Amino acid sequence: MKTLAEFQGFYNEKLFPRLKTLEEARLKVVSNVYSYCGIAILISLGLVFLTRNLSNLPGMIIMLSFFALLAIYNTLTRSYVREFKNDIIEKIVEFIDFNLTYDNNGFLPVPVFIHSNIFQKHPDIYQGDDRVYGKIGVTNIDFSEVNAKYVTKDSKGRRHEHTIFKGLFFQADFNKAFKGKTYVLADFSERYLGSVGKFLQNINVSRPPIVRLEDPEFEKYFVVYGTDQIEARYILSTSLMKRIVDFKAKSKREIYLSFIDSFVYVAISYNRNLMEPKVFKTLLDFEPMKEYFEDLSLAIGIVEDLNLNTRIWSKE
Amino acid sequence: MNIFLIVAVVLVVIIIGIYNSLIGRKNQVENAFASIDALLKKRYDLIPNLVSTVKNYMQHERGTLTEITELRAKATSGQLSSEDKIALENKLSRVYRGIMVAVENYPDLKASQNFLQLEKTLNEIEEQISAARRAYNASVTDFNNSVEMFPTSVFASMMNFKRKQLFEIPEAERQNVNVGDLFKK
Repeated sequence: MKTLAEFQGFYNEKLFPRLKTLEEARLKVVSNVYSYCGIAILISLGLVFLTRNLSNLPGMIIMLSFFALLAIYNTLTRSYVREFKNDIIEKIVEFIDFNLTYDNNGFLPVPVFIHSNIFQKHPDIYQGDDRVYGKIGVTNIDFSEVNAKYVTKDSKGRRHEHTIFKGLFFQADFNKAFKGKTYVLADFSERYLGSVGKFLQNINVSRPPIVRLEDPEFEKYFVVYGTDQIEARYILSTSLMKRIVDFKAKSKREIYLSFIDSFVYVAISYNRNLMEPKVFKTLLDFEPMKEYFEDLSLAIGIVEDLNLNTRIWSKE
Repeated sequence: MNIFLIVAVVLVVIIIGIYNSLIGRKNQVENAFASIDALLKKRYDLIPNLVSTVKNYMQHERGTLTEITELRAKATSGQLSSEDKIALENKLSRVYRGIMVAVENYPDLKASQNFLQLEKTLNEIEEQISAARRAYNASVTDFNNSVEMFPTSVFASMMNFKRKQLFEIPEAERQNVNVGDLFKK
């Protein structure tokens, strides 16, 4: 894996010259946004002034101009965002590992998300971008940003959207073969409710039976459910438990894993959008680049962190 | 009058619950032991394979190979108590690991396709056996807890349930294998 120091070198040598050109494009976009939005605001103010005596019209005009401003902003920045991602994010992905492919519009398909069964609620709205896929050593990986939601309607017929998961969703080929299903989930109930939570986990009917493991550190953060007690321990060897705990500490986020059909799925939750350039901030700053690098390294590093390239078992 | 009846019914239900949970845990332990057994059998089945793969290369370790074959024959003969089984199993693991270390001295063997395939299968079974041992220990801990904790402990002593031993790695196995010693025999 590449270190931050190596990335700093890459940034100075390769990224910075390119960022300088992009910075010019960004400044142009910003000045366009200001002038077009300014004109739009002036026009709508004029319209509001002209129609001030008509009862509902001014309010409607204000609302419409709000949407118009949003549309103008999106149209003006879209090509810049695409150019930035195709250029800079792709370069960072290639720098981390040149065997990987980046697709700024792609995302992990819904069936993969559902198959992982980490989140049991099926999404009504499923979006994503920034897909990265390829082979690291002998392990195939595929991940992207995912935003999955479900929709409910209340008694008055109003629509409500609820987040199922937002963050990085990761799929890789696991190094051991297995048939059953094993889930490693964030252990909220035991963390906050203690032994009551423990009892609640035992009677959770929507999951297979609970698997209690020996590593107290691991048990503190995670709850494990599995269709096969021995297989769950075959997958979660003592060393893998340690690795998962370390990975959780490194990511400083909630993580969820499932092991199904010889695949491992990892969901890392984020509450911000990933890999997005900030249009109103200068590009010539190392901080945001460091953030992109770290978010990508965290996902790509899963192969190394979970030791997926060790193939000493019968699975090739 | 009615109150006594309700209390009696509740008590009976609790007693049945405790009794069943104790039986359930005891069976869980037996079940876990049986799965270790099944995996050990799988490993015994691979030993002839291992011996035939390595014997053409390992001219100096004939004695060890004979020993492992004999141990396997003893293990699969059937008439063994579970303590004997565990002891035999530990001995077999030790000899087996010795062979795997000695392979390092035979680069041709180590590179052969047959051996590589076999090594992977054996690694897998080793990992599964270790998983099964951990599963066994988890169910024994569960069982022991109910034997020693109140109120299930009262019923456990009435049913004559005793603490069960955990599957521990014997002292000899914890030490690093001395390959030289192994081949002097």
